[in-house]
Amino acid sequence: MNTASNRLSRVIQNGLLAIYAIFALFPLIWMIILSFKSDAQMYNTTFIFTPTLANYKAVLFESDYLTYMLDSLIVSGGAVVVSVVAGVPAAYALARYNFKKKEDIAFQILSFKFAPEILVVLPLFMIYQKLHIYDTYFGLIWVYQLISMPLLIWVVRGYFEDISVEIEYAAQVDGYNWYQIFFKNLIPLIKPGLVSAALLAFIFAWNSFTFPLMLGGTNIQPITVAITKFLGTDSAHYGQLAVASAISALPAIIFALCIQKHLVRGLSFGAVKG
Amino acid sequence: MSRIQLENVTKKFGSVTALKNVSLDIKDKEFFVLFGPAGAGKTTILNCIAGIQLPEEGVVKFDGEIVNLVDAAHRDTAMVFENYALYPQMTVYDNMASPLRSKLYKKDEDYIKTKIQEVAAMMKMENLLERLPSQLSNGQKQRVAMGRALVRSPRVYLMDEPLAHLDAKLRNAMRTELKEIQANFGTTSIYVTHDFMEAMSLGDRIAIINEGEVIQIGTGDEIYYMPCNEFVAQLMGDPEINLISGTLAKSEDGYTFTMEGAQKTYELPKEKELFAKLGELGLSKVDIGMRPQNLLYSFEPKEGYIKCSVYSYESIGNKSVIVAETSGLQLRMIAPNGLSVKIDQDIYVDMQLDHAMFFDAGTKGYLTRYNEAAVRAIAAEQEG
Repeated sequence: MNTASNRLSRVIQNGLLAIYAIFALFPLIWMIILSFKSDAQMYNTTFIFTPTLANYKAVLFESDYLTYMLDSLIVSGGAVVVSVVAGVPAAYALARYNFKKKEDIAFQILSFKFAPEILVVLPLFMIYQKLHIYDTYFGLIWVYQLISMPLLIWVVRGYFEDISVEIEYAAQVDGYNWYQIFFKNLIPLIKPGLVSAALLAFIFAWNSFTFPLMLGGTNIQPITVAITKFLGTDSAHYGQLAVASAISALPAIIFALCIQKHLVRGLSFGAVKG
Repeated sequence: MSRIQLENVTKKFGSVTALKNVSLDIKDKEFFVLFGPAGAGKTTILNCIAGIQLPEEGVVKFDGEIVNLVDAAHRDTAMVFENYALYPQMTVYDNMASPLRSKLYKKDEDYIKTKIQEVAAMMKMENLLERLPSQLSNGQKQRVAMGRALVRSPRVYLMDEPLAHLDAKLRNAMRTELKEIQANFGTTSIYVTHDFMEAMSLGDRIAIINEGEVIQIGTGDEIYYMPCNEFVAQLMGDPEINLISGTLAKSEDGYTFTMEGAQKTYELPKEKELFAKLGELGLSKVDIGMRPQNLLYSFEPKEGYIKCSVYSYESIGNKSVIVAETSGLQLRMIAPNGLSVKIDQDIYVDMQLDHAMFFDAGTKGYLTRYNEAAVRAIAAEQEG
């Protein structure tokens, strides 16, 4: 009887999980299905249709899709690289050194994420016009720092604070200079935090829509903005839209899969007296 | 192998003064112990010597050369940290090899391997070399931290409570081992502890630190027999010294001491030097310091003994400690094991006053003691 009720609860558990999985994945599945439908079958079929690759062909070979994709990669990747290069030392300083208004500065950095993008984008647009960085890689990477930098600094700062300062002292006494200590002893310890923060920052930058819409023009169009082109004024090519969206989700997924093994926390535990 | 000197070192953390005017002169090849209660500033002294922290005032000298502006890496010290400070991402072997792989103290891998095997064998941890610090117990981590220092031959070893987390048996073994290592290598060592036994057994000389100040420096015996104030007297010794306040008065051919509370008057045993000193000082309010082993007790009433009641009786291995109470004063004394003592039973106590130390009741400073000349002679001999 015990086993019977056990089995029942397991069936129920798995059933509920399956329902949830379908619920969560359905939009994605629907998008994939749409991407294989021709325009003619778009509205009159649901699951049974004649699959076609015409949409893929149209998007990948007959439009500038790949250029947009490249733009997105350059802008988002550049934003993350800049954030890492500038943010890690900033996080270290905020974690280790005592200086005036330290907490105020830390909070200021975090507050960049508070304001809705739409609120600041209009003044930014005018400033960018004056500075002649409107519609440039530089301009977009710069504005993306509002998205990626606070996140990175705050996550990495926490990791630095978890590392006992005596580890640095010990390495100093062992005869290492500051740079050697930083790259040999500290970076390996913050790596899980750094990698996960960089991944999140990349995804946020990749998905950003308002900034590139307003601050990018004809030269630079990240994928989020470019996708809207498939919605014509007279007709909506849902099939091509689905292809564009599906492919644009790939880089973040690939990136996440590649660094999955680094997303494990717990390396820094147990080295100093708890 | 260096003489380490600190001259008027003052270290502040914000508005908190961690060290006040600390001056130490640690001789070459000396085993020097910093002893004091928690938060006294012992670790800060080590950090100043290692170059991890810069004092606001005063100078640190290695062999007479001022090293204030030399960074920690170039001072050639080896330090054992109280919280181990192992590198979590490296195995025990790599942790221990770390100082020998830095550019400054570079050794070839063969040398590193033999050296680590040697130290690991000494610390009985050959089987741990491939583990990560997170897979070690606290005692094992502490041994790795020690090992990382011992693989080097620095100018000075700085050890911050390196035995605190070892189990008792290993601690005793390591204590002996440390003393021997130091004697063999002849490396100057500075050792921080809050354990009185360790301080006494290891230190060539001991510095008592309290609230950021050096209270007294001397050999173990010197500090034990002639503590410079009541604080030091209480710190050195287990069970703690008995401090009995009372009044000193001149009698026909000597001095009498009247205990406060119990109102018993003792005739002080005659000693010319002591009486001369007491005459010179002319104080009446004094505290007498009596080590627990110099108190006599009896369970039967005896001539001259004061009546107390037993407050506690606890066995500490090869002996026991009786705490007796009389009118608010608690007296600790040593007794053999296996007595059947009941709490609150009567006990009669006498003091061997010819072992007494005298402290000023007002300033709590040391005045004099019986056999002072003899004690001084021993101390002078030990210091060599």
